[in-house]
Amino acid sequence: MEDRPAWIGRSLHRVDAVGKVTGKTPFPGDIDLEGQLWMKIRFSDRVHARIKSIDTSRAEAYPGVIRVFTARDVPVNEYGLGIPDQPVLCGPGSGKEGADIVRCIADQVALVVAETEEAAAAALPLIEIEYEDLPAVCDVLAAMQDGAPQLHAGYPNNILCHYQIRHGDIEAGWRQAEVVVEGEYRTGYQEHAYLQPEAGLGFIDEEGRVAVIVAGQWVHKDREQVAHALGLPEEQIRIIYPAIGGAFGGREDMSVQIVLALAAWKLQRPVKIIWSREESIIGHHKRHPTIIRAKWGATRDGRVVAAEATIIGDSGAYAYTTPKVMGNAHLMVCGPYAIPNAKVDTYGVYTNNIPSGAFRGFGGPQACFAAEGQMNKLADALGMDPVELRLRNVLRDDSITVVGTPLPPNVTLDKVLAEGAAQSGYWNQGADGWRRAPAPPPSGPNRRRGIGVAIGFKNVGFSFGAPEQNWATVEIHGNAEIERVVVRQAGADVGQGAHTVFRQMAAEGVGVPIELVELVGHDTAATGNSGSSSASRMTFMAGNAIKGAAELALQKWREEERPAIATYQYVPPKTTPYDRETGRSNPNFAYGYMAQIADVEVDVETGHITVMRVISAHDVGKAINPQLIVGQVEGAVVQAVGYAVMENLISQDGRILNPYLSTYLIPTVLDIPHEVKPVILEYADPRGPWGARGMAEMPFITLAPAVAAALHDATGIWFDQIPLTPERVVMTLRQHGIDAL
Amino acid sequence: MTLWTHYHTPSSLAEAHALLQSYAGRARVIAGGTDLLLDIRHGHLTPPEALIDITKIPEMCSLIQEGDDLVIGAGVTHTRIVTDALIAARATCLVESCGVVGGPQVRNVGTLGGNVAHALPAGDGTTSLVALDAWADVIVRDERRWLPIRELFLGPGQSLLDPTRDLLVRFRIPLAQEREGSAFKRIMRPQGVALPILGCAAWVRLDSSGERCEDIRLCIGPVDRVPVRAEQVEAAVRGQPIDPATVDAAVAAGRTSLSPRTSKYRATASYRQEMIDVLLRRVLPLAAERARTGQAVPEGVGME
Repeated sequence: MEDRPAWIGRSLHRVDAVGKVTGKTPFPGDIDLEGQLWMKIRFSDRVHARIKSIDTSRAEAYPGVIRVFTARDVPVNEYGLGIPDQPVLCGPGSGKEGADIVRCIADQVALVVAETEEAAAAALPLIEIEYEDLPAVCDVLAAMQDGAPQLHAGYPNNILCHYQIRHGDIEAGWRQAEVVVEGEYRTGYQEHAYLQPEAGLGFIDEEGRVAVIVAGQWVHKDREQVAHALGLPEEQIRIIYPAIGGAFGGREDMSVQIVLALAAWKLQRPVKIIWSREESIIGHHKRHPTIIRAKWGATRDGRVVAAEATIIGDSGAYAYTTPKVMGNAHLMVCGPYAIPNAKVDTYGVYTNNIPSGAFRGFGGPQACFAAEGQMNKLADALGMDPVELRLRNVLRDDSITVVGTPLPPNVTLDKVLAEGAAQSGYWNQGADGWRRAPAPPPSGPNRRRGIGVAIGFKNVGFSFGAPEQNWATVEIHGNAEIERVVVRQAGADVGQGAHTVFRQMAAEGVGVPIELVELVGHDTAATGNSGSSSASRMTFMAGNAIKGAAELALQKWREEERPAIATYQYVPPKTTPYDRETGRSNPNFAYGYMAQIADVEVDVETGHITVMRVISAHDVGKAINPQLIVGQVEGAVVQAVGYAVMENLISQDGRILNPYLSTYLIPTVLDIPHEVKPVILEYADPRGPWGARGMAEMPFITLAPAVAAALHDATGIWFDQIPLTPERVVMTLRQHGIDAL
Repeated sequence: MTLWTHYHTPSSLAEAHALLQSYAGRARVIAGGTDLLLDIRHGHLTPPEALIDITKIPEMCSLIQEGDDLVIGAGVTHTRIVTDALIAARATCLVESCGVVGGPQVRNVGTLGGNVAHALPAGDGTTSLVALDAWADVIVRDERRWLPIRELFLGPGQSLLDPTRDLLVRFRIPLAQEREGSAFKRIMRPQGVALPILGCAAWVRLDSSGERCEDIRLCIGPVDRVPVRAEQVEAAVRGQPIDPATVDAAVAAGRTSLSPRTSKYRATASYRQEMIDVLLRRVLPLAAERARTGQAVPEGVGME
């Protein structure tokens, strides 16, 4: 084998590119089976109510309707990624305690299955549901008060999770602090707005299994949850993902999987559903809105000596991944800094709002908005360059984090920040440290321009002791020569290009041309458990598994086994949960590090923000496919501009007022930064395959605080709440005396 | 979802009218459909039995200069208006307003007539047509006649036209003469798939000295249930030199006479009030400058 990798580090075209661009690739909604029926779901009409009765007779009498399913048809009427706290269908008669209560408008109450989609839709309103309203609580602070309506038994004050950090001696820290800054940060909802709304097809496969064709992030976890609700062994359930039209965390939890399986199983016929955009926006979880209070102190020479924070996250009506999202935010709210004294309390709180859950960054964006806001305020208060101040405090290989342990080896925050700052063109390093040039002139008389910086860290892989592993199988076929290599790897290609890099890594591992590599992907009938495509983990985890399986298969090949087939499970170093009192833990086994610089203009008359340039620096360890990394950086930056500046999902009394893309505004081509400059650095992670680190969430996390810092640079005002809608910006400017005149 | 059962593309007004009559209320006129089909899809409108597409009727797709007037067919797309040099030079605000409607695909399909017939209080094209004092050629209750454009509007989404039987045929606008100019600006993000927060069109005629405003028409929306002229603001400007003091007076008149409402997810009333100030300060001097110089280059149109 050559020393120089043949397939790693090359910007190969994506294997799925031609099919997707030409429209040939089927997504779940494109697939039809003979004799299929159509499903429509009746969602809850109330935010909190007991369902006294459901009368389906009129709906069932509607021409073309085959069957209406309600709670009493669900064998084990519960599901949930961590805690099974949500009924599959809300209503009486299922035997699951509390399943007769709807707790948010995303709850599903009944399923109409009909010969046509039109008939199912027409019958939907004919289902008569008798509700008895219960007191609702839609404000996260009110939900924590004594006497607030309780959503779930066993969670007093609706507190789903509470974590602590007690690190060093916080009082001693405050005594040392010469400068103190404070802030109350608020972050809003965000809708995933993936291209493909939820859709799927349930059917009985050729081996009699209940199969669901759907788009998700983890076939084996979907199978587990479907099996649980149907009361069937996992072997009798099969989950298949065709092409997946984006996910971003929004497909981690169940949407149509269980209900399709239920209907197909009960009717022994294929059943299909396609959600409208409105159903998608109402029917799946959102990024957690948070309130974060933070107080940090530093010495005059720029050493952060104390950090205190409280995070309150709105979980909505069910847990979903809230305990893990808030756990992540908990770790990141002190920033990637070596702070000797810290005190943090983090809460995830049930309310009657739609559920919150996983979304690219997984608690990181909220925490980073507060942490980097604090760091930028400190730099301002100290009169110190924000790059310089960060470099004095960043975590390094020998640093101890606020959870009492060091990071895994090869911490590169300092290098990432220095490279990003230098390549931005705004900063240079002189004899007396880092200095920034003034912002370029704004493009009009009513506009102001500023530059801001933020840095961050993000775990790669599951955290806090969660079981973490990835299975891969490599088959080498041929006789004298290798003719064909088959890789079995379930890792979901949610659009990030996983299937392309899996093949690159297999070709590299076996040492064959990539044309010989075939991938057998996400189908529980054909692959081992890969874990989810989330936590920026799939290249790292699947890469290690494929590399391991390739080595074993090659060994068998050399030992003349034909075909040479090897299966390998990669298990990373163990992590541990937070200590209840102190938070002490080894939370993660790998990290990615990032720094972003934003150049922003604001129209002080209208409040419109234009993100001119973003410099996005990342240590990716090893760029397996550099073009795909650039794609992830650009996509994440655009999504984060939406989060920071535009996307304003309005929930009033638990109801979403703008469940359309015509009213919930996401960036279009004219809203995106004029330039996104990726700075891709390759400092190997000794644990990563070929040194690779995960990177897909990282360019999202730091953007909002960088934009807020740039806005401060432009106007002298701190904006501690996102989204920075024109109205919010104008009203804040006026309050501070910056007028149109 | 079935959005319609029959789709007709009549080639004459008479044929379109006859089709509407034959369906007796079960058909609707479609002129691009970028609003209509969304309304049906979202369930705001029951799917009609038939759609009568008027964009193949020559009379409704023509752009004809008649002396100092321009006659624009109701089926003319936004893109055609935006790319028309005569309109750009002599009805500039119409190009500027049609140029910010939706994205390129919507402008390629959506029509000026569709925009007006939708009767929103802040339709972009509508706002400029009101400032230009357009007239509309309509067939209402089987009778064909010309109406001042403002008489078409009855309420939000409600016009004099019954979309199941009436037809909006053409518009007539006066082209800018010497010492006349117009401008349109709106407040929203650069590319709209959404409704604007606020739009403002102004038409100005200067006196023979080129100093003072001899006449002005100003339309700001949404500030009422229908598109309206900002008459008190006009009064503050008429007869005055368009200088900073007059613009201040216009802003003051806007503050006292216009009361925009809060819409749930678009903007609050107080933000809109602020933005009326901003729009007046941007639009009035621009329209006056165009009137003074006789030169007009549309701003902010389409992809920058």
